[in-house]
Amino acid sequence: MSEHVSNHNNVSRRDFLTALGLGSGAMLLLGGCGSKTLDLVDRPYKGPYWALAVDYAKCAGCRTCETACAAHNNPLKHNGKTVPGLGNPRLANIRVHSFNPDVDVPVSCAMCSDEPCIAACPISPDAKGRKALYRDTRLGVIRNDAQRCIGCGSCAEACADGRTAILHLDELTRRPAGMCTLCDGEPQCVISCPYEALSIVEIKPGQIYKGLPAHQVAGELAQQWYGLELQGV
Amino acid sequence: MAGISGGYFGNILKVDLSSGSAQRVPIDEKDYRLFLGGRGLGIKLLWDNLPSPGAESTSPATPLIFMPGPFSGLPLPSCSRTCVITKSPLTSPLNSAGPGDSTLTYANVGGFFGPELRMAGFDGLMIVGKASKPSYLVITDGRVELRDAGHLWGMGTDEFEPALKKELGDNRFQIMCIGPSGEKQVSYACIIHTAARVAGRGGSGAVMGSKNLKAVAVLGAKVPPVADHPLFLERLEECREIYNGMISHFLRDMMRGQGTAWFLDMNSNDGKMSVRNFREGTFEAIEKIDGDAAQKEIWVRSYACYCCPLACKKSGRVRTGPFAGLVHDGPEYETGTMFGSNLMISDLKGVVRQIFHGDDSGMDIISAGAVIGFLMECREKGLITPAFLDGIDLRWGDASASMQMIEKISKRQGIGDLAALGVRALADEIGQGSHEFAIHVKGQELAAWNVQANPVKGLCYATSNRGACHHSGDNAQAQDFTAMIDSTGLCAFATDQDAPILPGHSVKTVSENLAAVTGLELSEDELRQTGERIYNLEKMFNFLEGFRREDDVLPERFFKDAFTVGSEAGAVLDRAEFKQTLDEYYTGRGWDPITSRPSEATLNRLNLTEIIRAT
Repeated sequence: MSEHVSNHNNVSRRDFLTALGLGSGAMLLLGGCGSKTLDLVDRPYKGPYWALAVDYAKCAGCRTCETACAAHNNPLKHNGKTVPGLGNPRLANIRVHSFNPDVDVPVSCAMCSDEPCIAACPISPDAKGRKALYRDTRLGVIRNDAQRCIGCGSCAEACADGRTAILHLDELTRRPAGMCTLCDGEPQCVISCPYEALSIVEIKPGQIYKGLPAHQVAGELAQQWYGLELQGV
Repeated sequence: MAGISGGYFGNILKVDLSSGSAQRVPIDEKDYRLFLGGRGLGIKLLWDNLPSPGAESTSPATPLIFMPGPFSGLPLPSCSRTCVITKSPLTSPLNSAGPGDSTLTYANVGGFFGPELRMAGFDGLMIVGKASKPSYLVITDGRVELRDAGHLWGMGTDEFEPALKKELGDNRFQIMCIGPSGEKQVSYACIIHTAARVAGRGGSGAVMGSKNLKAVAVLGAKVPPVADHPLFLERLEECREIYNGMISHFLRDMMRGQGTAWFLDMNSNDGKMSVRNFREGTFEAIEKIDGDAAQKEIWVRSYACYCCPLACKKSGRVRTGPFAGLVHDGPEYETGTMFGSNLMISDLKGVVRQIFHGDDSGMDIISAGAVIGFLMECREKGLITPAFLDGIDLRWGDASASMQMIEKISKRQGIGDLAALGVRALADEIGQGSHEFAIHVKGQELAAWNVQANPVKGLCYATSNRGACHHSGDNAQAQDFTAMIDSTGLCAFATDQDAPILPGHSVKTVSENLAAVTGLELSEDELRQTGERIYNLEKMFNFLEGFRREDDVLPERFFKDAFTVGSEAGAVLDRAEFKQTLDEYYTGRGWDPITSRPSEATLNRLNLTEIIRAT
């Protein structure tokens, strides 16, 4: 996958959609080269290193990924030990959108290289150059500093504006939620997927990478698979 | 026995559409213990809440019950099922004391609704009453709202769900809806989820239509509690491995590959398929409509229900010919047979078109296929005139003539008004010996598994508690197993059918999962007995509705019309043998072989005496 991507430094979003699972050639590459866990190196941030790739032709829409994500990222204390939660899909950082005609589109934080969510954050950068919403230098994931965050929702609005819209304000805490954590190197969605539809791809610095809204991907797939316009939301 | 310490919210949501009120109704711990959830708790609720035996299925007081199980809403694999329990508008006993006498029905559907209902915090949903005008129900966690559906009434199910999600502004809602057939109370109208998942049998859609209820939409944010968290995590990990392994992969890949359509070819070869209104068991043109053909010409992708690794559902697209551009599911085994070989239709695209319209109008394709097959045979035999069929030239193999009937039925126009009542009503009207090939038991039509070369299926159809049903189980043990599985939220396709050689969720798995989730410690035998208890309560329900042994009969065809083609040519049921099998069945069950009533000793052994006496 990485080789395939590096030949296209200025790919359009449409091209990327193709590269990430719609073209049959790309699907093979993903199947062969996408990895299940990450080789973590602590290094200064130069670009988003990893993002979740979906092979839409393999995804069956079962939502196991949502439950595995939610369980890992919302652990519980049990007899003093931290254990995974039960897996409430509402708390997941990945969400499978299902449509009619039958198309299932999992979306998660794409760690967009142009960072519209961080750009929208109104909090002034601290000494480390971090706004309340910032890029983690180890994994390249987006994190939120709940102490400085004012819960204004600008980041969620930015994500909803043409990106995956996975970033949202938590209903209880009113703080940004839904950012992918990559499960600290062991992405549970990828590991648990019964259909091997998910994998992690490396995005090299300088490459443009953006998440697309589920309905846009679904519209593309509905057209390609069924020759149909998408109905509903 | 340990007490319940998880798995359940402890209540169901009861909505009265007449008064517009909603309340949480607590469920006795004892009822969970005895009936688990799903189909089992559903029959108990129907038993408790039906005003009296003989109440009309479509009268406002009849409860319409949506039941997930104790595993629903948890990420355990293949626990997506919802049982819809109510009184059937389709069935009635031979010797009826009143017009309302009918069996219960329990239609079982996968997808995402049951899990979502539990995420909203309810162990079930019971709807009574009748809305003053077409309405739909919206359940968002603890909030319940009844909204006007006037602008949605009449809409087909394919269009409906996206339209409602748009109106609700959130595509996370899970929806059950009826189509025009349900609105018009076609006796075998069904309830549809995600355009192609169907709570199909027994006319639950007509009951929903009689309540002026177009749809139920639910959205929840909770996850059910579990009794033993670390144990649950262990169980989850183990269950996710059930379909990994060599034999398991074979079965898994069979489901992913062709789903139930895998049986089309196999059953035709084995003489077990419903062909030409059940006259034959083998379809000579099977290769034109089987799974291989669908894979080549129609299917686009496989998709799955909540947390299920099997993905047995197939979406499809007609790519060429007059129906090019049509997009829908299937064929599956049942839909492909009942709208295919049972009507001698070998035009696969025509089959898919019928399936689309059957689902879109919200009718049970199994019953509809039997109705149309029956009329084709009556026409061929000259028992009815062209005028009786409103001029439709209903010939074997003609998919477009069949399409016209489907439309007539869903609109209840002309002949469709009578055909909407099922084959028995048609045979009553047509007479001339047509009852012999009116393929139903107790008024409900048989499914796509034919009987002449498959006597155990004959027992299954004759003794099923919802009229003819292929799913119930081919002997008492299988019936009890299925009743138990249907009460957990688990899908029967993901079980080992209580045969240790097969992969899948076993009784042992259920027992261990139940202990981790609820704290209930039920041994494998106790779980099988739970299934038996459920089956017996259903039987008692039917008994009070006037069903007796004389209702456990098969159509004459199966004893008279030996197959003429295929590997089982010559096969026909032996009357004496069948009677003996039934005798042994009643005796084995502890039921009176004359009346078929469960004996006091049986009811007592199953802890049902008190429940039955209380009514």
